[in-house]
Amino acid sequence: MDFETLRKLSRDPWFGAGMAILSVVAALILLGPVLSPYDPYDMGFRPLSPPSSGHWLGINDGGMDILSELFMGLKNTVFFGLIAASAGLTLGALVGLSSAVAGGALDRFLMRMADIFLAVPPVMVLILVAAFFRPSPRVLALALAFLGWARSAKVIRAQARVVNGALHVKAARRMGGGRVYVIARHLMPEIFPLYVIGFAAQLRVAVFMEASLSFLGLFDPSRKSLGIMIHYALRYYYMDVWIHWLLPPVVCLTLLIMASTFLAVSLEKVFDPRLKETV
Amino acid sequence: MGIRFKPHSGAVLGYLAAALVMVYLSYSLPMLLPGDFVTAMYSGSDVALSSEQEAKLRAFYTGEEGFGGYLLDLISLQWGISFAYRVPVSTLFLEALPWTLLLMGCAHVFSVFFGFIAGVEAAWRRGRFSEKAGVGAMTVLQGVPEIGSGVLLLLVFALNLGWFPAGGAETVYSEQTASVKTLDLLLHLALPLTTLFLAYFPGNFLLSRASMVMILKQRFIQTARAKGLKAVRVRYAHAARNALIPMVTRFGLRFAFMITGALVVETIFSYPGLGTLLFNAISMRDLPLIQAVVLISSLMVLAVNLMLEVAYSWLDPRLSDGF
Repeated sequence: MDFETLRKLSRDPWFGAGMAILSVVAALILLGPVLSPYDPYDMGFRPLSPPSSGHWLGINDGGMDILSELFMGLKNTVFFGLIAASAGLTLGALVGLSSAVAGGALDRFLMRMADIFLAVPPVMVLILVAAFFRPSPRVLALALAFLGWARSAKVIRAQARVVNGALHVKAARRMGGGRVYVIARHLMPEIFPLYVIGFAAQLRVAVFMEASLSFLGLFDPSRKSLGIMIHYALRYYYMDVWIHWLLPPVVCLTLLIMASTFLAVSLEKVFDPRLKETV
Repeated sequence: MGIRFKPHSGAVLGYLAAALVMVYLSYSLPMLLPGDFVTAMYSGSDVALSSEQEAKLRAFYTGEEGFGGYLLDLISLQWGISFAYRVPVSTLFLEALPWTLLLMGCAHVFSVFFGFIAGVEAAWRRGRFSEKAGVGAMTVLQGVPEIGSGVLLLLVFALNLGWFPAGGAETVYSEQTASVKTLDLLLHLALPLTTLFLAYFPGNFLLSRASMVMILKQRFIQTARAKGLKAVRVRYAHAARNALIPMVTRFGLRFAFMITGALVVETIFSYPGLGTLLFNAISMRDLPLIQAVVLISSLMVLAVNLMLEVAYSWLDPRLSDGF
C-alpha cells in the first residue's frame, strides 16, 4: 500500500465514517467493563425495571443489567465476525493463490469446488449444523468461514494470475526465483488490496449471520449477543421496554453492519477500480 | 482479464453438485448424532408411535434404506413427521410455502423493477446533486440489516401509530367479502414487504447504476445519440437492456444472503411462511421439521438460481464466456 492510496483513503468520507463508527465500537468493547460494573450474568436485580441511575438501560426479564449485557453482546458479535472473516479470508487466499500458481488439474478442481460452495446457501447449512450438534459459537464461525471462502478465492485467483503473468514476475522467475519466492515476494504483497476488501466484505456477512442465527435461537440461549437480546426484547415489545431494551442492540447491530459496508464500499472504490469488473 | 471458465457448464454443474451436497448433508447429519436418533427425538415427545411407524422412522433417519431410498422419499414428499405438530412435515411445508412465495416474490419484483429504473436514471444524471445524494442514501441504507429496519417499522407503524397489524398474514375467524379480504391481506403484507424492499432495493439500485455508467461510456451509445434519437430511447432501448445482465448474474450471489434476511423478517412480523415455520421448529427443537424445511428450501433456492442461469445464457449469448 503506497502513500497515494492512503491519502485517497483518508479523503474518502465513507472510509472516515466507517472507521469512526468502528473506533467507537472498539472503545465501547474495551471500556465496557468500566462503564458498567455489573456481571452480565448476575440475575440479582428486579426484573423488567426501567432505567435508573444505577442501571442506565434498566433490567431485563431475567433480572440482568441490560447495559452490561449490551457490552458483552457487542463483544461476542464482533469477535464472531472477526474469527469468521479472518479464517474465511485465509482459506480463500490459500486456495486462490495455490490455484493461480499451480494451474492445470488442481486449478480446475479447486475452481469447481468454488462453484459448488458459491451455490450452497451458507445459512441453511449453518442452521442444520447448529440445530443438530449445538456447537460453540467459535466452531460455527469457523463453519461459516469454511462455507464462505469461495468468493474471495475466485477474486484472488484472478488477480494473482494477472500478477503471475506480469513481466517483472517473469523476470524474477528467469533470475532463478522459485515458486515459494515468487508467491511470498510478489503475489502475496501485490494483491494486498484484495485482502482488505475481502476482509471487510466477509466481516459484514459474518456479523449479519451471527445476528440472524442468534435471533432465530440457534445459539446457546444464555450466550450474550446482539441477536439474542433482540430476540428476548421482542417478546416484550408490547410493554414500555422498547426504548431502553429493544432499541440499543438494534442500533448497535445496524451501526456495526453499516460501518463494515462503508469500509467495503470505500476500499473497493479507492483500490484499483478495475477490480470491480473482474467479478 | 475476467475469470474465465467454460460456458455455463461450470455454474450449472456447480448448482447440481450443490443440490447433491445439500441432500447428502441432510441424509448423513442425523447419522452422525451420538445415540439413536429416533429414540432421542420421539421418546421425550407426546407422540405415541406404533412399532411399524417407529421402524419406518428409524429406516428414514438412520439410512438403512440407503441414499437412493432417501432420494425416493424426498421426491415422493415423504419428509418425515413433525413431532411438535404431529403431522407430516410436507403438510406444514406446503401450508407455509404460498406465504413465503407471495412475500419474497413481491419483494423481488418491486425491488428489481424500481431499483433498476432508479439506477438507470441515476447513471444518466451522473455527477448531479440528485445522483450523488441518491448513491449516498442507498449506501447508508445498504448498511441497515433487516433486523434493524424490521424492528423499527414494527415499533413505529404497528405499535405507536397502529396503522398496520403487528403480525400474521390475515385476520382469522372473520367472514369477509373478497374485497375486504384482499385489503386485509395487503395490510398484513405491507410491513414485512417494506422491510424486504428496503433491504433489496439499494443493492439493485447501486448495481444497475454501476453497470449503466460503464455502458454509457461505450461507442454505440455515442452513435445512438448522434443519430438524434430521443434520450429516453437511448437510455432504455439501447443502454439499459445491457445493464440488466449483470443484475441477473449477481442475483445468484446475493440470493443466499437475501434468504437469511427473509427468515428474520418473517419471524419479526410472525408472517406464517417458511421462515416462521423454521423459527418455531428451532424453538421446539423439532429436528425432522428443521431438516426438511432447510433441505427443501435450499433445493428451491438452487432451482431458482439454475433457472436464472439458463434464462440469461439464452438472453445473452455473449455470456457463454464469462462470469
